[in-house]
Amino acid sequence: MAQPNRTGRRAVLAAASAALLPVAQLRAQTALEQRVVIITSFSRDVTTPFVQAFERAHPGTKVEVQNRSTTAAVAFIRETRSSPPDLMWASAPDAFEVLKAGNLLAKPQIDTSGIPPRVGGGPTHDPEGHYFGFAVSGYGIMYNTRYLRANNLPVPREWADLKKPIYHGHVGISSPSRSGTTHLTVETILQGEGWEAGWAQLLEIAGNFAQVSDRSFGVPDAVNSGQYGIGIVIDFFGFSAKASGFPVEFVYPSVTTLVPANIAMVQNAPNPNAARAFIQFLLSPAGQEVLLDPKVMRLPVRPETYAKAPQGFPNPFTDASLGARVRFDNDLSEKRYELLNSLFDRLVTFRLRELTAAWKAVHEAEAALARRDNAEGRRLVAEARVKLTRVPITAEQAIDPATAGAFQPTRPNRPAGPRQAQLEEEWDRFAVANYAEARQLAERARSAR
Amino acid sequence: MSAGVEIERVSFGYGATRVLEDVSLTIRKGEFFAFLGPSGSGKTTLLRLIAGFGMPDSGRILIGGRDATRQAPWARNVGLVFQSYALWPHMTVAQNVAFGLERRRVPRAEREQRVKAALELVGLAHLMDRRPAQLSGGQQQRVAIARTLAIEPEVLLLDEPLSNLDAGLRAGVRAELVELQRRLGLTTILVTHDQEEANAAADRMAVLDEGRVLQVGSPAELYDHPANRFVAGFLGTANLIDGEVTSDGFRAGGIALPVHAGATPGRATLALRPQALSLLRDGAGSLPARVVRAEFLGGHVRYTLEAGQGIRLIAEEPHLRGLQPLPPGAPVGVAVDPAQTTLLRH
Amino acid sequence: MSATTLPSAAARPWRARWRIEASPVQVLAALLVLAFLLAFLVVPVGRVFVVAFTGAEGGFTLVHFGDFFRTSLFIESFWNSLYVAAMSVVVASLIAVPLAVILARHRFPGAALITTLGVLPLVMPPFVGAVAMQLVFGRNGTVNLLLMDWFGFRIPLMEGLNGVIFVQALHYFPFILMNLTASLSNIDVAMEEAGQNLGAKGFTLLRTIVLPLALPGYLAGASLVFVKVFDDLATPLLLNVTNMLAPQAYLRVTSVGLGDPMGYVISVILVVVSVIAMAGAALILRGRDFATQQRGGGGLARRPLSPLGKALAWSFVIPVLLLVLAPHVGILLLSLATVWSFSPLPDGFTLAHYATVLRETPQFLTNTLLYCGLAGAIDVVIGVVIAWLVLRTKLPGRKLLDLMAMSALAVPGLVLGIGILRTYFDVKMPDGASLATSWIMLTIVYAVRRLPYALRAATAALQQVHRSLEEAAENLGAGKTTTLTRIVVPLMAGGLAAAFVTSFATAAVELSATLVLATRDVDAPLSYGIYVFMQSAAGRGPGAALGVIAVLTVAVCTYAAHRIAERERSRRMREGRATA
Repeated sequence: MAQPNRTGRRAVLAAASAALLPVAQLRAQTALEQRVVIITSFSRDVTTPFVQAFERAHPGTKVEVQNRSTTAAVAFIRETRSSPPDLMWASAPDAFEVLKAGNLLAKPQIDTSGIPPRVGGGPTHDPEGHYFGFAVSGYGIMYNTRYLRANNLPVPREWADLKKPIYHGHVGISSPSRSGTTHLTVETILQGEGWEAGWAQLLEIAGNFAQVSDRSFGVPDAVNSGQYGIGIVIDFFGFSAKASGFPVEFVYPSVTTLVPANIAMVQNAPNPNAARAFIQFLLSPAGQEVLLDPKVMRLPVRPETYAKAPQGFPNPFTDASLGARVRFDNDLSEKRYELLNSLFDRLVTFRLRELTAAWKAVHEAEAALARRDNAEGRRLVAEARVKLTRVPITAEQAIDPATAGAFQPTRPNRPAGPRQAQLEEEWDRFAVANYAEARQLAERARSAR
Repeated sequence: MSAGVEIERVSFGYGATRVLEDVSLTIRKGEFFAFLGPSGSGKTTLLRLIAGFGMPDSGRILIGGRDATRQAPWARNVGLVFQSYALWPHMTVAQNVAFGLERRRVPRAEREQRVKAALELVGLAHLMDRRPAQLSGGQQQRVAIARTLAIEPEVLLLDEPLSNLDAGLRAGVRAELVELQRRLGLTTILVTHDQEEANAAADRMAVLDEGRVLQVGSPAELYDHPANRFVAGFLGTANLIDGEVTSDGFRAGGIALPVHAGATPGRATLALRPQALSLLRDGAGSLPARVVRAEFLGGHVRYTLEAGQGIRLIAEEPHLRGLQPLPPGAPVGVAVDPAQTTLLRH
Repeated sequence: MSATTLPSAAARPWRARWRIEASPVQVLAALLVLAFLLAFLVVPVGRVFVVAFTGAEGGFTLVHFGDFFRTSLFIESFWNSLYVAAMSVVVASLIAVPLAVILARHRFPGAALITTLGVLPLVMPPFVGAVAMQLVFGRNGTVNLLLMDWFGFRIPLMEGLNGVIFVQALHYFPFILMNLTASLSNIDVAMEEAGQNLGAKGFTLLRTIVLPLALPGYLAGASLVFVKVFDDLATPLLLNVTNMLAPQAYLRVTSVGLGDPMGYVISVILVVVSVIAMAGAALILRGRDFATQQRGGGGLARRPLSPLGKALAWSFVIPVLLLVLAPHVGILLLSLATVWSFSPLPDGFTLAHYATVLRETPQFLTNTLLYCGLAGAIDVVIGVVIAWLVLRTKLPGRKLLDLMAMSALAVPGLVLGIGILRTYFDVKMPDGASLATSWIMLTIVYAVRRLPYALRAATAALQQVHRSLEEAAENLGAGKTTTLTRIVVPLMAGGLAAAFVTSFATAAVELSATLVLATRDVDAPLSYGIYVFMQSAAGRGPGAALGVIAVLTVAVCTYAAHRIAERERSRRMREGRATA
């Protein structure tokens, strides 16, 4: 057991002995430094197999992994410019965009031959060469089989299935503002269905939400435990949970997109050679095979690796349906990124109680109408539905710099102007008023005859 | 004459430590009684048993003729004034005094009037709204007494009530206490280790040591006729000389002292108050002695003398202007009044 | 101190004048504490909070505060937070007050055990605790699944604001329990006997005498619970309740971006409200001298319980312990479970998770012991010094020190962590590593974050040491410092043990600042290890195993501290009795 101060002393010793090495010997080792420091949001289960494989391939180099949530990782890199970690390794592409915009990413020379430039709906790597996709992931529906059986629920296949009243209170999601992966799911639905229809679908699904979690892993955690039965998650959460023995399954709906999980070298990385070697290893055939480890379970970016995949493993390079329906528009996504997060939180996250109560009332009114149909009731329900599926701004406004611009300055270090607060307050009032009115309308519809 | 408090063969201990051994006492109604003893003698424990804090291992305690041995403290109607006063800091003076009355469900109007009366009795009615921390030690003590008197207890128990007061205040407060007790005619038990306090206040007292009652009586009785060495030594100054009674007096260490006629021969201790000895500067008297030490005490000079083979005696000489204290080594004569001697048998 | 110079009568006025104002030692102590707080709390946090007062074009502005009060969600969150904090105090008191009374006033078998178990709810390992809570009390947790099976209904224990109150009360009641128990056992037994002598008994005695006298301890605990709940974000987030202030601040800071002013505006408001609450508690106690003189042994006599009383006490203690320890039982089950999903109990049991943890991460435990033990010790020392300065000196600005230290309660760990990085990252240690990411800084940050707990406990303990006991020492020639170390601190032993235990125990599961500052695995504490494991489905078991280890460690240390304090107490009791 190493005492913390002993490790410090050991580092001093190492530095001293390194200084004493003959120059020639040093030059012979310029290929790789003795260590490489990786900051990552991936769990130990995911990182350990890669680290072990890499250290076997490069015996002179020791990999140090620092686990942090994505937000903490971004903050850490930003605050430690003078002596940063070497690599940033995480899923959420937006985190890399933030780092890139802050000039915090290096532009290493990496050989990407043999990897298709596009996978699913978008580019595999950052076109400007700042970060690299090493695996792809798609979004879908994870469900707990015991839970569905106990509650007599059918297995959902498509996003639209989740709108059904039968799933009321059984679905969970994380907030797009908290999870880059959920953000992409929401954006994918909006791009696949269109702004208005997409929001209508999202808000109706949201009527069935049990929770909006504040962290990505909160959703698979809850589905694994059976707190609720169905979660909207990224695929590897489902695959790895299943591989760990939980009674869960995962399905890709037809509207989904595949996005890369990435790695990048940090600007002024102290160990650039080893860092480059690690990225290269990740993209090599040997590194790609590690993705098929049961605890990792992510889709490789090299087509040939799929030959070694287990039976039934999805392959985006051969399965045309997987992620093909949506051609993901990065530009569009980028323009309304923060606005979308904020809008979702105002309409769903912070007003979930009001929203689900209103939808419950609508469902009950519709059930009553099915038994005793009448025109007045139908009119009231239709009106309630309109109120519950409306968004306060149009697709055009959402990318209009006058509106979306109010949210954008919140990116690196610049404070947001008061405009954001004003818009948020407007949307909050909009949501509260609409949901209350919709609930009243639905309650009137139930007793209409 | 009915009984105030009767203690019948009470024994008490904590585990293996015996605190009280077979104690029996009767305190008369309306009497000012004192438990006198050194610390560790069990006097406070006995007082606490009367108040109900602790139950005797054996024996009975009767209060006003009824058996209170198993009665809870709150059911006894016995007022205890704690050594530390135990005034509640979170209540005002008036609230402290009203507490016992509230527990007895005395109606508000009567309660207020009785609180006021109790405080007037101790002369503190003007400080009703203060908190205890704002009072002087003497005032706190009077509040503690008022608090106890307000419930009109059958018996008033005072646990070293003067020990936390400045020396200058004590005599005055003691006189007030006695005066108050006389006025109310309240059965009162005072616990103290200070013989002067007990002598001055009590009608009768019990001297305790090591959990036993050694002697009971009025202060003068105990002083004049101590039953044993301990009582003789604890109450005032006494010369205690071990020796033997023979036909021609009391012999010890090569000296002979007169005793009253008819004393039975045998081993005994002779107790002599200093005032039983007369110091004669001209060397006359029955017993020659030498001055060892002289202490000038104002009204008199206290001499430590040596006589015979190392027998030490304390004698006093009234001091008059112009009379120089004798220097150490000076020879003197001592005369003993046999009527003032007490023989203590072993 | 010199033995050759006797204080002459002429020197006394000079000394008296100095005692009224401040002695050099007091000034020095105050300056050291101030320097510590400035360096590791005020400056780092200030460097982050400055955003709240910075306009879009730079420069000072209050427009963000205006926005806060114009935003209905924030106003609603504000009232929700107040409501939840106040109600949590009420519910926590319902649990803690009877327990404290039973433990402090009665001879109760296994009191040490119960005291130890009573601290454990504070030790809720991050993530694992949340998962276990859901598995036990959640919508489909053990309790509700069984209720559904047997009676066909559920209780929404973990939903909405009331769910937050329920969980918070279970989580934080030990603050009241510990402080109140310490307070109760310091009451001079004569206070109680005087009440009995005047006719009070049982509940009346408790209500009119005992509890009012224990008010300083109760208020110390209750104000901690209030502020802690008001500022806590973990539980609301666990229950997905976002319309409260602390989660709003956290969500803003971590998702909108570090440059977003609103998150810091909310943090500033959290700090202000917390400080007001603390100051309010101090105001209630002002001018009341509750110190009761400890005679020799002091302390309430522990009386035996009647058979009926015993039955009543047990029938309260057992269900309460079951309730408050249910999450820990959940963690234990989780650490032994193969798979636990939508069922009252796990599918099967295994020891494999412990094997994983012991193989991969043995250093976490020793690191935690070292950091948290040091942090606890720092807290006790600083806590005693501040309490002493506030209660026993007339040093100007001493209350400010107290409030400054208490404000740490309201500073989110993330904000402090970022501030520390910003301030100290470029300070290098001899080996070239950054001071900010070293284990030393981690220890200091733990100490800063947990200082409020130790400070409240130390203040309550010192309030009950009567001045005269110190004056006696001073009278016998002891200087202020000697008096503090030889008389005051030993008399406060019980309270100080409580202070250490709270700081130590809660630091052991501190996560938010750890996540920003811990860099190397070899330097990382347990909470970091739990975080790392709990990011994947397969890591749940090992994460829970680490959680169990954390809880057990804290339990053992708490038990030891309790035994030491108890031995000290009984030693004093014996000595006290011998002189009675």
